[in-house]
Amino acid sequence: MKRSACLLLACISIALQISAHAAEPPLIRLGRGFAAEEQVWLMSARPDLTPNQGKRYQLKQILFQANPQRFQAYLAGEIDAGTAPGLSVIFASEQGLDIKVVASVCMEAAGKEWFSTTYMTKDDGPIRSVRDLKGGTVGVVGIKTATDLWARAGLLNAGLQPDKDTKVVPLGFPAMGDAVRTGKVSAGTFVEPFYSAEAAKGGLRKLFTAVEAVGYDHELLDLWFGQKFLKANPEAVRAFLADYVAVTKYYLANTAQAKRDLHKAGFVRTPLEIYLKNADWKRDPNARVNVDSLKKLSTFMREKLQWLEKPVNVDALVDQSYLPR
Amino acid sequence: MRLLRPMLLIACVLAAWELAARSGLWNPLLFPSLVKIAYELGLFLIQPARLMEAWVSLYRALGGFALAALAGVLLGMLMGRSARVAELLDPLFSGTYAVPKLALFPIFIFVFGIGSLSKVALIFLECLYPIVIVTYHGARDVNRVFLWSAQNMGASRAQILRRVVLPATVPFIFAGYRVALPVAMIVVVITEMISSADGLGYLVIYSLSSLKTDRMLAVVIVISLLGLALDRALVFLRNRLVYWDRLDTYYV
Repeated sequence: MKRSACLLLACISIALQISAHAAEPPLIRLGRGFAAEEQVWLMSARPDLTPNQGKRYQLKQILFQANPQRFQAYLAGEIDAGTAPGLSVIFASEQGLDIKVVASVCMEAAGKEWFSTTYMTKDDGPIRSVRDLKGGTVGVVGIKTATDLWARAGLLNAGLQPDKDTKVVPLGFPAMGDAVRTGKVSAGTFVEPFYSAEAAKGGLRKLFTAVEAVGYDHELLDLWFGQKFLKANPEAVRAFLADYVAVTKYYLANTAQAKRDLHKAGFVRTPLEIYLKNADWKRDPNARVNVDSLKKLSTFMREKLQWLEKPVNVDALVDQSYLPR
Repeated sequence: MRLLRPMLLIACVLAAWELAARSGLWNPLLFPSLVKIAYELGLFLIQPARLMEAWVSLYRALGGFALAALAGVLLGMLMGRSARVAELLDPLFSGTYAVPKLALFPIFIFVFGIGSLSKVALIFLECLYPIVIVTYHGARDVNRVFLWSAQNMGASRAQILRRVVLPATVPFIFAGYRVALPVAMIVVVITEMISSADGLGYLVIYSLSSLKTDRMLAVVIVISLLGLALDRALVFLRNRLVYWDRLDTYYV
């Protein structure tokens, strides 16, 4: 009798645990980066701005230093979604990764109100135009990254052959300013917050921007999801993106406060006073993806840079149906 | 049969890899099959541009190693035979051996530039330590009976150094070289992965950036084959020079 009662209690306990677990909303394991993803970080720094979080989905953000590692983690089943530059998503798609771009994070866009990644050279140096980079070296943050693509686009525009006429070498953002000033590289890539800090020091001059290099506004960072997760949890993704769009709008309307919150939560290590002054990339308030720009990038990567061995179907890669209407 | 035994182990490892790759447990993009890796390796070997990248890495590695081999033996011998030099240099080498010299690479870039020189300089520094320390201990621990015998027979200091100390230290020198040579290969690849527009390390990053794991692993195989070839060449040279103490006579 006593044994039967114990067995019954154990069964009830297990059943309660299973039902509690089943009631939990799906967990989104999101691989994030360390730059230009403010509205994504804000979802974790200020969960009060995301009414669906904890109810219709749970969010766990995991920091990655580089893009390939994010996709490797996805392949290993460690993350369900992530942020990545447009060209990285194109690379991943070419290799057959079952992912979909569901929203835009930020763009490289022309206009005084937006920041665009800038290539600078020594102010008193011999390089007056991109053409003068012949025989020189351009510093980029990594091989086959967006900074590499823009540098090569800029060189091609000036009639120079990357690697043959001008070397393209990887160099960390923090070292870029001194590398240009000491002549270790002829030109370097500058993003915020390094751009503002180095510009303030003086002695550097702009050569071209990312937008000038490719000739059009284009996607810088996007949000992607694994297709299996999308199919298994469409409502959770819709709820996540509804919150994401709401947070993006909040960020655009209250940028200074949002930046303070991110700094306080430890997402940004730049001194607050510098971070608040930094120019920002363009962000679409509705997180709509500029599909045409991804198509153009894909064509440029394949035809001009020979970075893609086969064409990528960008229309099939992007799925914006999960975004709020 | 002696030659086949190590091949058997390698064959087992390769078979285990292929089984795992074909099991479907891992995505082939993350865990490619040997067939795909072998295909990429074949492509590597028939493309002159890729072979050139291997040559670039090799000359950087061998350049840094050769400089360290010369300077390391000189310093190690001096430390081993002179208490004053040992007193001066031992704390420096012992105290900084554990420092990861790779952390100094950004400084090397600023001093020597982004090209080959900064990489060769770092390889030199990384290789110097094992060569100096092993040579130092070899030169210091020469059997005293040999030294006394040479002195009793009227040998000069130079003769003792040339006929007794150096031959007794050569096996240690080669031991230091065998430790340093793979270090040279590792450092060249890492520095090229950090900042380079050429070399095998650059190819590793280039392949990884576009998620071509099979191509990256083919480059890794080339690196390991180069390391193996260099080590075999060093052992061959050692056995020719140190004929009284051949490595293959150790196990009796």
